[in-house]
Amino acid sequence: MLIVLPQLIVGGIATGMLYALIALSMTVVYRATTIVNFGHGDLVMAGAYAIFVFTAGLALPFLPALLLAAGLLFLLGFGLHRLLMQPIMSGPHLSLAMMALAAGNVLRGAARLEWGNETLALARPYAQTSFLLGQTVFTMDDIVTTGAVLLLLLALFCVLHLTPAGKIIQAVFQSQRGAALVGINVNAFHGVMWGTGAALGAIGGALLALTVTLSPDIGVWTLLRAFAAMTLGGFGSLGGAVIGGILLGVMEKLLGFYVSTAFIDITAYVVTILVLLVRPQGLFGRPAARRI
Amino acid sequence: MASEAAPRRARRRFLLLPALLLALPPFLDQYQQYVVNLVLVYIPVGVGFNLVVGNLGQLAFSNVAFFGIGAYTSGILMLKLGLPWWATLPPAGIMGALAGGAASVPALRGVRSFYLAVMTLAFGELMRWSYIRLESLTGGSMGMAVPSADVFGWALATEWRKFYVFLALAAATVIATDRLLRSRIGRAFMAIKDNETAAAAMGIATSGYFVLGFAWSGFVVGIGGAMFAVLVGHLSPDSFDLIELILQFAIIMVGGLASLTGSVLGAVVITATPQIFANFPGFQELIFGLLIVLVILFLPRGLASLLARLHPVFRDQYYDG
Amino acid sequence: MTAEAAPLLDLAEVTVRFGGLKAVDAVSFAVAAGEVCALIGPNGAGKTTLFNAVTGNAAIAAGRIRFRGEDIQNLAPHEIAARGIRRTFQNGGLFGELTALENVLCGLHATIASGVAGVVLGAKRARAVERAATERARRLLDLMEIRHLEDRPARELSGGQQRMVEIVRALATDPPLLLLDEPAVGLAPPVRAQLGALIRRLAKETGLGILLIEHAIELVMNVSDRVVVLNYGAKIADAPPAAVRADRAVLEAYLGHG
Repeated sequence: MLIVLPQLIVGGIATGMLYALIALSMTVVYRATTIVNFGHGDLVMAGAYAIFVFTAGLALPFLPALLLAAGLLFLLGFGLHRLLMQPIMSGPHLSLAMMALAAGNVLRGAARLEWGNETLALARPYAQTSFLLGQTVFTMDDIVTTGAVLLLLLALFCVLHLTPAGKIIQAVFQSQRGAALVGINVNAFHGVMWGTGAALGAIGGALLALTVTLSPDIGVWTLLRAFAAMTLGGFGSLGGAVIGGILLGVMEKLLGFYVSTAFIDITAYVVTILVLLVRPQGLFGRPAARRI
Repeated sequence: MASEAAPRRARRRFLLLPALLLALPPFLDQYQQYVVNLVLVYIPVGVGFNLVVGNLGQLAFSNVAFFGIGAYTSGILMLKLGLPWWATLPPAGIMGALAGGAASVPALRGVRSFYLAVMTLAFGELMRWSYIRLESLTGGSMGMAVPSADVFGWALATEWRKFYVFLALAAATVIATDRLLRSRIGRAFMAIKDNETAAAAMGIATSGYFVLGFAWSGFVVGIGGAMFAVLVGHLSPDSFDLIELILQFAIIMVGGLASLTGSVLGAVVITATPQIFANFPGFQELIFGLLIVLVILFLPRGLASLLARLHPVFRDQYYDG
Repeated sequence: MTAEAAPLLDLAEVTVRFGGLKAVDAVSFAVAAGEVCALIGPNGAGKTTLFNAVTGNAAIAAGRIRFRGEDIQNLAPHEIAARGIRRTFQNGGLFGELTALENVLCGLHATIASGVAGVVLGAKRARAVERAATERARRLLDLMEIRHLEDRPARELSGGQQRMVEIVRALATDPPLLLLDEPAVGLAPPVRAQLGALIRRLAKETGLGILLIEHAIELVMNVSDRVVVLNYGAKIADAPPAAVRADRAVLEAYLGHG
């Protein structure tokens, strides 16, 4: 039984990288605006369909299609924020959550109207081979997913820590009011972060469509797993989202193999519920101070 | 004193409206009658949901779970134990209430807002997974056929007959919830929504009212689930997915949050219209999504706020008088 | 008859900690029935924290709080409220969506003996107690001459009106002790004077004990029988207003903070 452990971990990390990327893209929006975007999964889905249209419909090569889709989703995210979220920013959380959820529903409904419920396949731009390292199989899917997410994480890290823009973003993450005081246009900043989150999500959607499946419901499926990853790593922490995603991916594989495959589907739900009940600050966060 | 008694009398008059509905069946064909019955199912569902979201102010997405638990409780008790449908109503309500009590636990532990939403969303999906996995009870993903129903031996063989029973149940839940909201209990819900610290400073035991609010909501929605089971005659896990959640949200948001009138109005508008488009996959999601977006932007207090301008009877009031 | 001799509210060596910081540091004082006791001090001196300790909203690390001879420091806020300590809030604690009347009815919550079953089934008794409470709430609004506001949602009322409704709500159950957290904030001078007169009248005519946090110093001097001064969480003075005004330590505390 233990002999398959490395194999499970490799597969778990690859899936986990996907969760990590999507959780990270949600965390970017959450940190910037303190809003949990309940429609984010559907942006991921929309990104995946955009790539499908660009590659299968317009016959573009994969990488340009990916860039185009990310750009398109940036605009979509930015537009959603400007048109729907910004007018109600000061409103109750319920309105914010419902607005995002409803906007996501519109996207999902549109996708279903156009493509129906059947699952589509996104043609892989690479050969579907695998390599054997000792006893462990590395599929090309695993390598591409892990590699792509790692590259993105590296790029993001560099942007955040080495560029002036990154310093500003970090400053705003620390204090919204402070940002407004030093003359940052908070609305524009929020819009750009919604766009960035959506663009990152689109890349996640592309990887998901490549290696798992493409259907109108992948957004919801992803959303719940991204929530679990964020909860596990501590809501609002960028690094926590990544680690939480990877942990969730590995946990799914381990539970699926050693307990029952039935549990793969619910690992995320159980994790979310248990962590929020027992340790709301996540595995790595410190408890927030209570205020009256 | 005369002026104080007036709203009460006006409310009584308002209750004549369902009585007028009694004469409705002869004018409707089979399908229209089904749609009317579906509206009646969604009245308790909306009323219960609105209590938690609108009155108690909690961002809980667990309503579809209460609905499914009520529906499956009723279906399973009929199919496996051979209970008559009417006898499954109390257990369906009680199971819903227990689920409600369970859903209030995170709120008691201080989980609020987005976190509560995420958590209750996971709870709903967990329940849907259970319907699929508990195959011996629920029939798994293929679903279960619900036996034909009767009320004390009177078979609910036609949509007409269901209509009269459903009307009575829907009216009962509305009246009971109305009484609840017009008492110190309803005021406690509103106080907790607005400011928990101030509510406690009034001597309101906030924890107890969290449990009570969720449990009452679960009870009422569970009854709605049992009605749903006999109306559609077939339960499958797909009936309790996220599209259903959006439909239920559309009911309370379009109708009007924290408004009993709104719940009823929302059930009518949201349940009746999209049936026309039920055959186009995706259309419901699109319409409900758009409706919610528009309501939040342009009519944040829902259709009920328009009615309230017309007549004070539709205004929410949290005392008896 | 120790009950008569004992003060209404008795704080002994009360300490509240936030992490390593002592927000309230071994503070002792007492409030008697019919007495107006003001709690003053620079911003951050721990006044509201002390209020929160009395009402059960902040846990105390040491000391004891007694109300009518009974230890209350381990009770939940709603239990303390039900025993007769009521408060108003610094930034207005009215429930905005509820009307003035419904807000006052919330104040009466603990006195309305109706359960879920009675309410839902429309039992006579449940309805009778609700009606009696509504009548009492209306009478109280009448007494303060704000009955005409009863159907207005609280958030639509002016600042002064909100303050009055909040006081009516806090006093609805005839509590023995009232805690007022900066009641004069945002009020025009004439309204302030009315408020001061009301505070005096309530204490002297009904025997209500009042603990008052207030920055408007002239109001404090006019209405209080005794002034307790906090600085950095510790009590630095406890004397009649005139004596406090002359106290050097108090002066330094205020001037030191600019």
